[in-house]
Amino acid sequence: MIVIQTDDVDIGALIIAAKKHGTGAVVVFDGIVRDDDITEMELEAYEDVATQELVKIADTATEKFRLLHVDIIHRIGRLTVGENILIIVVAAGHRDEAYAGSRFIIETIKAGVPIWKKELTKHGGRWVPGEHGHGKPKTS
Amino acid sequence: MSVKIRFFARFRELLGTDIMTDVVAGTMFTSLITTIAKKNPEGYTAIFDEKGAFHEFVILMKNGKRIEIADAAKTPVADGDEIAVFPPVAGG
Repeated sequence: MIVIQTDDVDIGALIIAAKKHGTGAVVVFDGIVRDDDITEMELEAYEDVATQELVKIADTATEKFRLLHVDIIHRIGRLTVGENILIIVVAAGHRDEAYAGSRFIIETIKAGVPIWKKELTKHGGRWVPGEHGHGKPKTS
Repeated sequence: MSVKIRFFARFRELLGTDIMTDVVAGTMFTSLITTIAKKNPEGYTAIFDEKGAFHEFVILMKNGKRIEIADAAKTPVADGDEIAVFPPVAGG
């Protein structure tokens, strides 16, 4: 499942579904709204383009790290501290591929997928600065 | 002919989004965005520098494909195009 949505997901169910034939390891990345003296976080996406790029990233990771299964669920909308923002579930035959594939996916998302976060505080809001100035996807 | 302009994040807050605008044939990406951005001085300075060039961090897309800043001044827009302009991404 590769999706951008407002709703949360059942991570346990994703893990169960990820265990395809040949799976020896499942790695779950769960990005969470951190308590950085904020009240809430507002997430925004260029949804059509972002979804296409997430699919490309999943395909690239599957090929590069011989993954057996990939889920990427990126949430948008208003989230509170402690809520899930991004869930990545990967399955592979061995832990090395699973860890590496998961890391590749999260770093590539951060580098180039058109999604933005605004931290809301008691005094207003601040957009989280992008980590990479040019935002070029690193899918190769 | 008509094109749709989409700003995101801070640019959206300053300039709005899903802006449908009529353009004449031969209009270039940069000139279109310049015209729209000038409607709000703060929005304009968020996107353009003092020389009227895109800030180097600004990301441009036409129909979901990246347009390099260096090419934007000579990239024409066509009827039905979707133009997107946004700041560096920060997902994940």
